[in-house]
Amino acid sequence: MTQERQYELVYIAGPDSSEEEMADLHTQVEQIAARFNGRIEKTENWGKRRLAYEIGRHREGVYVLEHLYGTGEMTREIDRRLKVSEVVVRHLIVRVDEDLDVANRATSRRKEESVRRRVARGLPPEPDPSERRGGDDDMDGDGGMEDMR
Amino acid sequence: MSDERGGGGRGGGRGRDKKDDKGKGEGRRTFSRRRRVCKFCADKIDYINYKDVRQLAGFIPERGKLQPRRISGACATHQRKLQTAIARARQLAMLPYVTD
Repeated sequence: MTQERQYELVYIAGPDSSEEEMADLHTQVEQIAARFNGRIEKTENWGKRRLAYEIGRHREGVYVLEHLYGTGEMTREIDRRLKVSEVVVRHLIVRVDEDLDVANRATSRRKEESVRRRVARGLPPEPDPSERRGGDDDMDGDGGMEDMR
Repeated sequence: MSDERGGGGRGGGRGRDKKDDKGKGEGRRTFSRRRRVCKFCADKIDYINYKDVRQLAGFIPERGKLQPRRISGACATHQRKLQTAIARARQLAMLPYVTD
């Protein structure tokens, strides 16, 4: 139950939060993590961003992402504190280790499979860039950008 | 579609000249239908990140609703991952729940 897991925490503070408030929030999270023998691995500040919809009366928010290691109890406490906080308008804690594990396994399995097949065909295990088939980016992304607007 | 039904209707004749039937069926099916491959599988994406709005935006039609699999063309695994990613992004106000 008290196993260490990897989490991602994103919180959104109101657009007019001061630097101090942001720093304060960060130390709060850090302290809670430390109390539960967890740690913050990395912090990313995305700055002020437009919200896709209004939260409360805000149209913008300051996003911060924290990569956390710790126990479930730690996240529960962080969750509780952020709910109470008046600076934070929205937050989300996501456990990521399992998803990343699955993704890594899929990647390595595919790589192994490709190596196996290439060797079976008598090719060197790694494809070199010249034999890549191109022209698959015609459908990519461009339709999506229009949808967003 | 109607071709296929015609073939199936002759159920009585099936047992007798099975070989013949089979050959015909295959011949009919060869008209080129393009095989659709899941875009995520093709691009070898194993983890759909909820923070990457640009990636997700391609699968959000104008109205902001989820795209059904028959349109997005994603395989079951990736459609499921896409769903969770979109749900998370919505919660963080990076994507809209609805747009009018």
